[in-house]
Amino acid sequence: MGGNKADVLQGTLDLMVLKTLESLGPLHGYGIARRIEQVSGETIQLNQGTIYPALLRLEQKGWIKSEWGMSETNRRARFYSLSRTGRKQMERATENWERVAATMARFLEPASSETN
Amino acid sequence: MEWIRVLLNRFVSLFRRKELDARLDEELNAHVDLAIAENVRRGMAADEARTAALREFGGVTQVREDYRVQRGLPWVEQIARDVRFAVRQLRKSPGFALTAIFTLALGIGAATSVFSVVNGVLLKPFAFREPNRLVVMREAEDQAGKERTIVPFNYRHFQRLRQNTKSLEDMAILQNRAVSLSPDGDHPYRVGGLAASPNLLRMLGVAPILGRDFTESDAVKGATPVTILSYSMWQTLFQGNPHVIGQRLRLTGESATIVGVLGPGMHFPQFALAPKIEFLNVAPAREMQIYIPLTPDEYALKDDTGDYNYKTIARLKPGVSIEQASAELETMQRAYSASAHLPIAMGIAMTPLVKDVASGIDNALWMLFAAVGTVLLIACVNLANLQLARATNAEHETAVRAALGASKGRLVMARLMESLLLACVGGAMGVALAFAGVKLLLSLVPANVPRLEEVHVSLPVLVFALGLSVVSAVAFGMLPALKSLDVHPQAAMQANSTRTGSMQKGGRARNGMVAAQVACTLVLLIVTLLTLRSFSHLMRMDRGFDSSHITVAQVDLLAPKYDDTKPGFKEAKLAYADRALAALSQLPGVQSVAMTSATPMTGETWVNYLERPDHPLPMAQLPLVNVRWINAEYLATMRIPLVAGRNLTATDRANPLVALISEKTAREAFPGENPIGRAISNLVPDTDRPVTVIGVVADTHINGLKDDAAMLYAPYWAFTPWTVSFLVRSSQPGNVLIPEMRSALWRIDPQVTIPALKSLDDQVSDSVATERFQTIVLTSFGAAALLLALLGVYGVLAYSVSLRQQEFGIRIALGSDKGTLVGLVLRQAAYPVLLGAGAGLVIALAAMRWVRSMLYQTPVMDPMAIGGSILLLLAAAAVAAIVPARRAASVDPMRALRME
Repeated sequence: MGGNKADVLQGTLDLMVLKTLESLGPLHGYGIARRIEQVSGETIQLNQGTIYPALLRLEQKGWIKSEWGMSETNRRARFYSLSRTGRKQMERATENWERVAATMARFLEPASSETN
Repeated sequence: MEWIRVLLNRFVSLFRRKELDARLDEELNAHVDLAIAENVRRGMAADEARTAALREFGGVTQVREDYRVQRGLPWVEQIARDVRFAVRQLRKSPGFALTAIFTLALGIGAATSVFSVVNGVLLKPFAFREPNRLVVMREAEDQAGKERTIVPFNYRHFQRLRQNTKSLEDMAILQNRAVSLSPDGDHPYRVGGLAASPNLLRMLGVAPILGRDFTESDAVKGATPVTILSYSMWQTLFQGNPHVIGQRLRLTGESATIVGVLGPGMHFPQFALAPKIEFLNVAPAREMQIYIPLTPDEYALKDDTGDYNYKTIARLKPGVSIEQASAELETMQRAYSASAHLPIAMGIAMTPLVKDVASGIDNALWMLFAAVGTVLLIACVNLANLQLARATNAEHETAVRAALGASKGRLVMARLMESLLLACVGGAMGVALAFAGVKLLLSLVPANVPRLEEVHVSLPVLVFALGLSVVSAVAFGMLPALKSLDVHPQAAMQANSTRTGSMQKGGRARNGMVAAQVACTLVLLIVTLLTLRSFSHLMRMDRGFDSSHITVAQVDLLAPKYDDTKPGFKEAKLAYADRALAALSQLPGVQSVAMTSATPMTGETWVNYLERPDHPLPMAQLPLVNVRWINAEYLATMRIPLVAGRNLTATDRANPLVALISEKTAREAFPGENPIGRAISNLVPDTDRPVTVIGVVADTHINGLKDDAAMLYAPYWAFTPWTVSFLVRSSQPGNVLIPEMRSALWRIDPQVTIPALKSLDDQVSDSVATERFQTIVLTSFGAAALLLALLGVYGVLAYSVSLRQQEFGIRIALGSDKGTLVGLVLRQAAYPVLLGAGAGLVIALAAMRWVRSMLYQTPVMDPMAIGGSILLLLAAAAVAAIVPARRAASVDPMRALRME
């Protein structure tokens, strides 16, 4: 993949957001976007703005909640946090994702050893 | 469940747009501020920090748009915008909007009202278990060389079939019985009684809401008399008292124990005993029903060749078709006819219950439904024309929208929304009108139409009205909406005046619609005029009797002393008739008093084979006659002429075995012979002696205006029936004597019931209530169609004249005279009208096959009806055309030219 900008699939972005909120607790949109960039080691370059429609979608589904709060720089910002159903959904999605990843890995392994 | 939550969220957002926009703006600002702050912390200059933050954020507008799409329901918002736009457009032309709404309200209201009746009477399934497996059965007599005659059931035949059938789940047998109810100290009145085998309700799948169903032991001879009340009977007699079970009720003077009450939804439908036998007018309100178990008497259990007096209803086994079941029963009937040596081979006639109940009225109702549909269609065409004109006027605006990039779908939707809006408002008003319309129809509809108690504006009716509104909107809005696609933005915007151009373009569509409208109207007019002609033939034909100045009173001798189980009942009946005749002739102004055993216009009853001892024939070839028991004044009172022989005289009382026959009877039973002095056997109950024919009287339509059965009249001295009808001719109009007659009849015996008491004119008029109803409603629809067509022709011409003002101005300026201009406009009108009339004529001729069965002595090619319709239509079109034509001729050339 190298330095190519990876397209972010809708489902994966959702899971990244949920996972971020699980590990860091309540966070504003900017914080979530930055965290996703950092964790992905800059392989994913998303326009930070696209996080907002995604956050709205998750909120409409009832997986996250939001309320106004104060940022570390004392700026009023909207903070998002994981809801109970969101946590369950995240666990389900994580499990799914791990299974898919493991399966894919088993398919990919012998192929890579042959080329080496 | 999640999608419901999302939808709800999105829906709520529709109403919080401002607030949510502000929230998003603040959130996005915060995002950028936070990013700048971090960039500054990392050591960037303020400008640089801001640029970097915005670059990383991406397109703000794009995010906002995505966010909004995600937030609300875009298509709802789009529709809301279209609706708002349509409302604005309509408010600009309130005249059009009101006309359209008013037309649609009337059209949809009328169609919905008629549909309520169609639905209640013809379509709605019965409230029985699996009603489509229920069938009505009758027996059929197959006689060589004759048409199959459908007759009611014989009890023994029913019993045998019920035991042996494999295709029917069950069969029930029943009889309508007049029952008199005497509330304490008051005169008795008659209610509808239904004597049925105890399995009837179980077979229908109906259980009483109180008490119990009948059991087999209730129908055994000598069992305690029991009864089940219909819901309305229970409400009327006992005010819904729940402790009614076990109480006693006097039915025809005999005490019966109430064992059950039926629910409010249980209406047992009335169906005919046999095709020609109607229970017209004297049948009491159907809801007032009393159910009693049918206990067959010895006669019913023995008689295999007569006593065809029962109705049967049966339930098919699951998966068995009506054809399979009738084939099985037909075979059984034939086998039995042969093995038991029945004089006539019997068969079976089976019809689905719902069809049988509706027969006789279904054609009339469907025709009215088609008529009201046609009226609505014509109204839609009118509106389409108006919309088309509006679309043409709005071409400029449509062009602007198209130029700005509106898609075709959006352009069509924007114009169609206007029509949908009009149709919804019109439809809502139409439903409101339908409530009144149903009441009006119910007041016009003849009382003998079945299932009227089930006619009301119900859910299916509302769904129908909604569907109709949308269909109308599409019908009158789609063509104009599609027309707006033809607009070429460039051409439309360049032309500052589109008058002449659009005239050419929209003209063909408009003329086409006028032609369609004229065609529909002509079809409806022809059918209406045919129906009117048929009705007038029916009313003006020679009935063979004179009904004016006659009052008819039907008396049912239902009190216990007339019951054939009581000693002296024959004398009691005869005494009542004698005393009533004497008392009625004492009333003021009375000229003569007659008696007969069947109220005129109530269909064929007491149908007997006419047997001649001097000329025996196999039963299959015997002619049938309707027997009536009369007094000597009958002929004079009814003004029926005596053709040969002599009338009854007082001296016949001593030897009453004599009879008068009608000319038709004479032709059929005594072909080429002189019937006077001949004998007829097996006519008078309880005697083996024959009667002697003493006279021949003219034929009459006494059983019904369309009925011409062969008649036989015998004196009531030989036999007095339980139903006696008195016909009183006086110098006064027929309904003046009613109160005096009622008290006179009750003075003789307060225990008899008087189910019918009215002028004979009213009785005749009531007997054609179905035809009258059809005629009145059709005529009003025909008139409405004519009016709409007139408006349609006028509207199109007036519009095109207004578009061509300039042209007319120039023509006048160049020397055209007024006559030429009027001719020009009239010719323009004539083209679509004549085309439409031609098409209408062709459609009408094709539809005639369907109308023929409803006409009485009126050929479908009746020149008066067809010619009259065409003339009426052309006259209306001429009236509609003359106003715009004159306007064209009176255009002021100077003003027309200056308009540019």
